[in-house]
Amino acid sequence: MTALEWWLALSIMLFCIGAFGVLARRNVILIVMSLELMLNAVNIALVAIANFRTGSPGAGIMFSLFIITLAAAEVAIGLAIVVANYRTHRTVQADSFSEMKG
Amino acid sequence: MPGGDFHPVLFFIVAFWILACGLGVVLFRKIIYSAVAMIFCFLGVAFAYALLNAALVAIIQVLVYVGAISIVVMFAIMLTEAQHGRYGLFFNRQTVFAAPLAVAGALVVAAAIVSSGVAGVGDVSLNLSLREVSKLIFNYYVLPFELVSLVLLAAMVGAILLARQEGGERR
Repeated sequence: MTALEWWLALSIMLFCIGAFGVLARRNVILIVMSLELMLNAVNIALVAIANFRTGSPGAGIMFSLFIITLAAAEVAIGLAIVVANYRTHRTVQADSFSEMKG
Repeated sequence: MPGGDFHPVLFFIVAFWILACGLGVVLFRKIIYSAVAMIFCFLGVAFAYALLNAALVAIIQVLVYVGAISIVVMFAIMLTEAQHGRYGLFFNRQTVFAAPLAVAGALVVAAAIVSSGVAGVGDVSLNLSLREVSKLIFNYYVLPFELVSLVLLAAMVGAILLARQEGGERR
């Protein structure tokens, strides 16, 4: 295995750990945290490819920086929704969000 | 450091750290333990960026994830975790499907990467300096940069609006 393949393997494993958390946990805050793990995995892949591949210099770094920024926005919005939902339902379990469905 | 060299020992330490903390996030029963594991996982990812010659991304990772996002998550936990001592049933019923699905997803992506040969190319490194990154941001990527600032502003206003106590008279 080349070095890039090792890094991509790490990225895939972290991504799937995060995906498992999103799919399997009931606490909405933990689902948001698992989403962050998935975003971090994507960032590792982007930075690794930016490190090991030539062509379009800096694109991987730029994308990872923008992803970090958008992740911050996403966490702020998501946790605000969780807190607002907690006010009305007194719970953070994912089942309580089912009232939102049309 | 000449670009592209690969330190197996450092890599495996960092990879083990990241994966152990990631599993901790997903598997810990108490959510505050998960949050602490998440902070250490973010630190490990910052070390991974440093190993990948991306010092700027590593610093920003520590600033934004370890510094800001972890605090927001901690505050959300403290604001909501009046769980009345009930921690049972912390996995939902989809766990039986979620675990094989995650493993299958990993295998499919790994097979795609191996068969496409994207990772076969040898070890080159670009090792962008901070000056080059800033030139890129403010020349080629200036439009996404401004859009991201708008998105951040909208997210800030939206988060305040969502989390505000509704009906200010009953406080």
